[in-house]
Amino acid sequence: MRQQYARRMQVLASAMMLIALAIIVQLTRIQNSPEAAVFRKQAENYAYEWKTFYPNRGEIYDRNGRLLAGQKTVYEIGVDLKTVTDPHAIAFAVSRELGLNYDNLMNVIQNPPEGISYLVLADYVEAQQALNLQELKRALQEQAAEGALGGLTGLQFKAHPQRSYPENALASNILGFVNREGKGYFGIEENYDNLLAGNPVSVLIPTDPNKAYEIPRVPDGTTMILTINRDLQAAAEEILDNALTQYGAQDGVIAIMNPQNGEILAIAVSRRMDLNNFWNYDSIYDNATEFNPAISKTYEPGSVLKILTMAAALDTNTVTPNTTYLDTGSILIGGVTIQNWDRNPWGVQNMIGCLQHSLNVCMVNLATQMGANNFYAYMDAFGLGHLTGIDLAGEATGRLKMPGDADWYPVDLGTNSFGQGVAVTPIQMMAAASAVANDGRMVTPHVLYAMVRDGRQYNVPAQFAGSPISSQTANTLTEMLALSLEAESSLALVPGYRVAGKTGTAEIPVNGFYDISQTNASFIGWGPVDDPQFMIYVWLERPTASPWGSETAAPVFSEMAQKTVILLDIPPDFIRQQIASQ
Amino acid sequence: MNIPNINFIHAYRIAPWRVQRQWIGNALLAVVVLALVAGLYLNVTSRTAIAGREIQDLMNAIAISQQASSDLQTQLASLTSVSAMEQRALQLGFRPVQPEELQYLIVPGYVAPEPINFSSNALPQLSALTIPPEYNQSLLDWLDERIASRRIQ
Repeated sequence: MRQQYARRMQVLASAMMLIALAIIVQLTRIQNSPEAAVFRKQAENYAYEWKTFYPNRGEIYDRNGRLLAGQKTVYEIGVDLKTVTDPHAIAFAVSRELGLNYDNLMNVIQNPPEGISYLVLADYVEAQQALNLQELKRALQEQAAEGALGGLTGLQFKAHPQRSYPENALASNILGFVNREGKGYFGIEENYDNLLAGNPVSVLIPTDPNKAYEIPRVPDGTTMILTINRDLQAAAEEILDNALTQYGAQDGVIAIMNPQNGEILAIAVSRRMDLNNFWNYDSIYDNATEFNPAISKTYEPGSVLKILTMAAALDTNTVTPNTTYLDTGSILIGGVTIQNWDRNPWGVQNMIGCLQHSLNVCMVNLATQMGANNFYAYMDAFGLGHLTGIDLAGEATGRLKMPGDADWYPVDLGTNSFGQGVAVTPIQMMAAASAVANDGRMVTPHVLYAMVRDGRQYNVPAQFAGSPISSQTANTLTEMLALSLEAESSLALVPGYRVAGKTGTAEIPVNGFYDISQTNASFIGWGPVDDPQFMIYVWLERPTASPWGSETAAPVFSEMAQKTVILLDIPPDFIRQQIASQ
Repeated sequence: MNIPNINFIHAYRIAPWRVQRQWIGNALLAVVVLALVAGLYLNVTSRTAIAGREIQDLMNAIAISQQASSDLQTQLASLTSVSAMEQRALQLGFRPVQPEELQYLIVPGYVAPEPINFSSNALPQLSALTIPPEYNQSLLDWLDERIASRRIQ
């Protein structure tokens, strides 16, 4: 009996061992079968996934650390279609909070596109609105019977950053904007888009939640500190707006630069846009040049260009400040008679009188005496017809016709000498005139003061664009311009400060002919003369109160300069002289 | 006297039930060792998984804090924007200063303020390669790696 029992047990144990062995053999066979390799490869494909981490876009500050462009959290609001319990409640709550159409919401929730489980109802929703919906969802969940789901179950919120401009439209023409895809347009946002956006990092993440992985540290985009002075920018925009109203101008620009190092302190333009509502771009601007005409819009500058002609004449020793000539009111060049702005003769004039009365005949004389080669070599050295290299997107080159060009005629030497027939941008004129204000050295205008990355600040050094004239010529011409302003008691004068500058009134060509009733009024000036710390360019387009730059742009320059010296803490000349004498 | 004792001991040693007990004992020992290894493995992997989750949570918390910081910074900038400050100043009875109202004083040693400087100590740079495999590799992964390296050799 006992032996029989033992035998049965042995048979049973053997059978079980055989079964176990068969299972092990089968397991091993399956593990090593060709199909297993295929399955293993498929599993590997799903074991990891590439995930891209996007850095926060760098911030933009003014020179005093005021935030001009930052980030704010907005929400994507969607529904998880599998968990929705009450589409009516969701449609009602979302339509009420976000002002969306209830019927449309109901339609998309009840008839979603095939094959999706998550539906976006709205994106870029303000944090407060999302918070209201989240609170409503929580309240409905609390009110629901125990174990039941709230009416807004399935409504989901995903936070993400969005570019925000706390100053709204202030300096919009300098900053540019970022669209919802994160791409920068215009100004700093476009010019430094790559640096601001930073570098996204892609890493392989295990899909198994129990496998530890390290989230890579994604450095934020580079933070930019601009040379712009926020308060000066605001003042410039206010003064420009008032000037447009006061003088009935169509458009305008006020640009302020430090002529010693090319730092742009402010650029005010008449058409500005709230950058937080960048989608209004099309309704504000007719074309891209209107976004920042100070760098993008070319025009005939008129008499402000006489500064450059006089600089060339002095530098080539064609004339000295005391050189005289007889102004007969007209001069013939290239078969065309050129007249003064008032079409009158001014008799014997020296070079200061030439600038003071802004005499076209004088300028044509100078250009003729210098010769075309000399004149155009200087204009080229001053950067006319070239990009200044300012670090803002969309700069225009302008146009300077040269002898040898198909459309250049001998009369152009005459007209170019007093600013007709040549197209420049305001920033080009400032860069060129900086040579006169800065001991003959021409600066490269720039807006970037410094970059901050990984806690380190890199200051951008000033760059110079050559020395088209000598230091002596620059100082002589500055003195001549200051004297000419003082002699005519110009409206551009600034009480307590000695300034140098020049008006410009350029008739606008309409259908190939200059229209006397439509002008570009401008003024370029800098000060204090003994230590120039600001250069201001004023351009008023088609002023109706008066066509003359001396009556429109000049007083705007004075007002702007008075505000500038306050905001930049520049004491009057006699105080500075006291300090210097100590 | 000694011969019966020797026989008894020999009989005891070769008794079938004793051999069975030795087998069972060894089998049980193996089971206990395996259970210990499995328990240890489970403990280590679970701790690793928890640590991984905690790191993820902390990273998320950092991201949320940074986002909140950006939000607050932008809010502060909005509250101190030119238009807001101007409006507030006017409400408090201030008005823009006129040039003729300004008085300049010479203050010995006064240095004009310089533009902002955001330099600070650099943050340590972490990269995805800083965690050694010992901290995120399971026992099976380790065995797999060893076998693979042997194969290569």
